[in-house]
Amino acid sequence: MQNKEHSFNGMWRQIVSIRGMGQVISVSIALIIMTIVFGIINPLFFSPDNTTNLLRQVVPIMIIGMGQSFVLITGGIDLSIGSVAGMSSMISATLMTAGHMNPWLAALITILACCVVGLFNGLLVSKAKLPAFIATLGTMIIARGIAQLVNGNMNTDGIPESAKVFKDLFYYGDTFGLYNPIWIGLILFIFFNFILSRTRTGRHTYAIGSNYEAAKLSGVNVILAESKVYIFSAFLAGIVGLMLTAQSGMGTMSAGNMYELNAVAASVIGGVSTMGGQGLLFGTVIGSFIWGVLNNGLQFAGAPLALRNLVIGVVVIISVLIDRVARSGKFDFRKVLKSKGVNISS
Amino acid sequence: MHVSDYLIELKGVSKVFPGVKALDKVSFLLKAGEVHALVGENGAGKSTLMKIISGIYNRDEGEYLIDGVNIGDLTPKKAQEHGIAIIHQELNMCQDLTVAENMFLGREKSKLGCVQQNEMNRAAKEILDKLKIDIEPDTVLRKLPVSKQQMVEIAKALSTNARILIMDEPTSALSDREIVELFDIIKHLKGNGCAIVYISHRLEELEHITDRISIFRDGRHIVTKDYKDTNLNEIISYMVGREIKEKFPTIECKRGQKLLEVKNLCSGIVNNVSFDLSQGEIVGFAGLIGAGRTELVRALFGAEDITSGEIYLKGKKLNIKTPKDAIVEGIVLGPEDRKKEGLCTKLSIRENIGLANLDQICSKVGIVNRRKENKLAEEAVEKLKIKTPSPEQVVNNLSGGNQQKIVVGKWLVRSAEVVIFDEPTRGIDVAAKVEIYNIMNELKRQGIGVIFVSSEMPEVMCMSDRILVMCNGRITGDLVSRETTQDEILRCATKYSH
Repeated sequence: MQNKEHSFNGMWRQIVSIRGMGQVISVSIALIIMTIVFGIINPLFFSPDNTTNLLRQVVPIMIIGMGQSFVLITGGIDLSIGSVAGMSSMISATLMTAGHMNPWLAALITILACCVVGLFNGLLVSKAKLPAFIATLGTMIIARGIAQLVNGNMNTDGIPESAKVFKDLFYYGDTFGLYNPIWIGLILFIFFNFILSRTRTGRHTYAIGSNYEAAKLSGVNVILAESKVYIFSAFLAGIVGLMLTAQSGMGTMSAGNMYELNAVAASVIGGVSTMGGQGLLFGTVIGSFIWGVLNNGLQFAGAPLALRNLVIGVVVIISVLIDRVARSGKFDFRKVLKSKGVNISS
Repeated sequence: MHVSDYLIELKGVSKVFPGVKALDKVSFLLKAGEVHALVGENGAGKSTLMKIISGIYNRDEGEYLIDGVNIGDLTPKKAQEHGIAIIHQELNMCQDLTVAENMFLGREKSKLGCVQQNEMNRAAKEILDKLKIDIEPDTVLRKLPVSKQQMVEIAKALSTNARILIMDEPTSALSDREIVELFDIIKHLKGNGCAIVYISHRLEELEHITDRISIFRDGRHIVTKDYKDTNLNEIISYMVGREIKEKFPTIECKRGQKLLEVKNLCSGIVNNVSFDLSQGEIVGFAGLIGAGRTELVRALFGAEDITSGEIYLKGKKLNIKTPKDAIVEGIVLGPEDRKKEGLCTKLSIRENIGLANLDQICSKVGIVNRRKENKLAEEAVEKLKIKTPSPEQVVNNLSGGNQQKIVVGKWLVRSAEVVIFDEPTRGIDVAAKVEIYNIMNELKRQGIGVIFVSSEMPEVMCMSDRILVMCNGRITGDLVSRETTQDEILRCATKYSH
């Protein structure tokens, strides 16, 4: 060990040794390369307008992605979040229009409703022991149904002008120069990252995904721990639903369609393993940016929607493959790095 | 206040599951500072008893006293609070968490919702040091070999201030050296007043640490004795209810022609392995865990990629790339982990046997002939003396010994040339072991070449004609079993160890 360790070097080593950081670093590098490439193809990619546009597209995916990540780490999956976002949008908008309700009260009720759905998912999976895929598939359809019922199978009217503050908070306004959705995303990231990495709840989340039986026999309340992640997921989907209402100024029954798949994509690209027990929320953030950059960048390069979907699909598959190969231990990238004196754990 | 000599007292405890009385008015007394061995055949009720003691099951009748106080219903968490910890046969820990995280799982120290990682690491290191276990608390569990993971489980039990430690087959995955380390830890724990319940099928190792021994049979407590007042033969006869004349039945038969020739085989850790096998010969592979024996036999069976080398069967060069190739040539394998690799546990006996013999029971277009399948299954059950009400019984419900018979038996209804057993008697009781040995002998008599991998020295020495010792992927000894000693085998097995 060298006597004089440059302080940056020491800090770098500490960061790099966080479990799961390996893949996060590689996707971060990939993101940087991608951004540069798209910038070269069309320098307008870097314009402030497009950057804001990009960030606005990324934030909802990032927020929903974080919720999905919690669920994935426990070894489950939440297919209902897109519909829950749509349900949230419809409920809040309906309460504000037909219900003439104060937007904040409407938002509160909406979030509570979403948490109830989350709890429902949680109990189906943890108590009734339904496979997460099936349970959340059912909830997905139910939530979409609620979204349609709430306003009598119609999209809502525009939300009243008195809700301008709401619209600004959740979409249009900016604080200290940054658009509010970005702040919301940032605050939610800090909060949920803290939960995942530094609290008991987070520890139990990893434990259940890694070995459910062991967690149970160690005295972890597995039903509570497993239900929590589905509540987080639904809560975050609810927030995104509110953002959608603010953005479009109304409730659309098809809001949030397919979001769950993008959320899975963001998580998986960011290194969250579909087999559970591994993953960092920061990875999901990077993953959602990669999704956003691909989407936006390809749009800027003139690619049609179909091609964008194709590319993103391929990237997701490659990410899962990388996860599988890394987990099987057949290819030890770490050994290569170790021989060069870099020690990355995970 | 009633002061008791015993940490734990069970009196008249029974437990019934649908269709089977697992425990029938058993009693069990545990003193502080003793190592109490619990032995019995599979199905004797040891596992059920342990689960009742540790709170996983609740008893149907009888008394359960801890420190002289009657306990009602128990949960794993409450049992933990009473100081009871159980280390299961199959490791039950989260592979993706670190050592310290696993040790404190469910009891994380947290301040204001924030987990005190450094504090837990420190506490973990303290316990590991006390037990002289050389592991860093922030190592991810997946990185540690099974033996070290087992030590972590013990450390975890101790971190809960366990006074009663239940160990279920703790040595089944350990090398001899690691077993010595484990016994040192047990003696240390004894010295601190800890009581240890030690369940094992490996009766020979009990003499090193046991104070008292309890024997169970068919759900009933037969007897408890001080270990020094009894001997191995008496224990076995209590376990089985009859005397077993021969622990290792052997037969003499003329060795036939050269059957299998392996030349310079390389596959993963297997490094330039060459050996021969003749007809009617049993070759045992000895060596430490990680020596490459399982990898070698898997390569012979086509389950691992062969990077170089040749295999000849009866003079013909074989090209084995998948298990199917091996099976077609007549080389079959009973794998090491019977539940994960050898059986479809949710399927019936009939289906498991049928699966290995589909080519015999299916028509050309692939339709299964149920009559042929049934007949095959009945044949196997009879030939192998599998204890089951019918071939429709789901394999998971069978005892370890019977499961093992199917793992191997499913191949025996085809004509095989070379039969490979990987740890054929792991985790099964004395009587069932003898039946497996008889099967091996029967194959030998029929002129089939038998290879078996085993970590139990007496088994290897008594059952094989020749012993091949491996170390670090290479063959370090080709010994005639009648003429060699345990020391010589061990020397070969540690030739390249550091």
